[in-house]
Amino acid sequence: MRIDFFLVMAALLFTIGCVGVLVRRNVIVMLMSIELMLNAANLTFVAFSHELQSMTGHVFALFVITVAACEAAVGLAIVLALFRRRQTTDVDDVSLLRW
Amino acid sequence: MQLLTGLVIVVMLVALMRALMPSRVLVPAVAGTVSALVLLVVFRQDLAGTEFWAGAVGFVAILSALLVVLHPSPMVSVLFLILNLLCVSLFYLMLSAHTLGALQVIVYAGAIMVLFVFVIMLLNLKAEEGLQMGRGLQRWGAVVFGSAFAAMLFWVLRHRQGRPFIEPPRFVEGFGTAKDLGTLLFGEYVFATEAASILLIAAMVGAVLLAKKRLD
Repeated sequence: MRIDFFLVMAALLFTIGCVGVLVRRNVIVMLMSIELMLNAANLTFVAFSHELQSMTGHVFALFVITVAACEAAVGLAIVLALFRRRQTTDVDDVSLLRW
Repeated sequence: MQLLTGLVIVVMLVALMRALMPSRVLVPAVAGTVSALVLLVVFRQDLAGTEFWAGAVGFVAILSALLVVLHPSPMVSVLFLILNLLCVSLFYLMLSAHTLGALQVIVYAGAIMVLFVFVIMLLNLKAEEGLQMGRGLQRWGAVVFGSAFAAMLFWVLRHRQGRPFIEPPRFVEGFGTAKDLGTLLFGEYVFATEAASILLIAAMVGAVLLAKKRLD
């Protein structure tokens, strides 16, 4: 099976995730869009791993999943702390550290 | 290929009818089901091909990803994200990455998404606003750079000059199995694995600290 189909799929998913981060203002939806992008990168890793018949891509995909888990845990903890203090999940309401 | 195209068109028509006449729910549902069944009977030889299934899973993946981004309610988005992750795990299975497909379902769709669902239910959020599109220069800059990026992506994919495609054997002995993955993880990449464990501990401590009642 040629992997071009999977590469196009990964490109589309990555683009959709990127648009999600840029367009949405809800922190949780932005985190979900980041998960979409990480998944697209994983799909590319696995596709090339299949084409080259080498397992290295699988190992890296696994590490990406690990990093995604860490990122989700810390990000959601930050969201919880933010909501407890400010009663909001809108990134435009949290602009103290922005220029 | 005709079956897939037909089904995609049917799904889009049903969505369009739902949008145009929201009061009459039954008409598009019945029409969609009947035409989908007719298509299935007429083009039933397509069901045996790999292309149909890959394309169908891809269609569901793209649709659910779009709904993750576009749906106003975070709870619905997270459910569609789970659907999208399941589709990606089917892609992994098609690429004969069995272990990774299973891990995708268990770790991603199971553990990480439960975290998301839990937090969203805890926060008691309202369905919010529409999309924030930016203003003036920002919007046009986004359009220009976004289409330039997409054009570059597709140009690269079309003109990929790899080595000629060799049809790889469908199931190479040991490719994608847990045994091979474990050998690599604890052999060649043992340092990275240990670093990942330290990263996980750091993230766990950080999450517990951040979620404490008082942050000082």
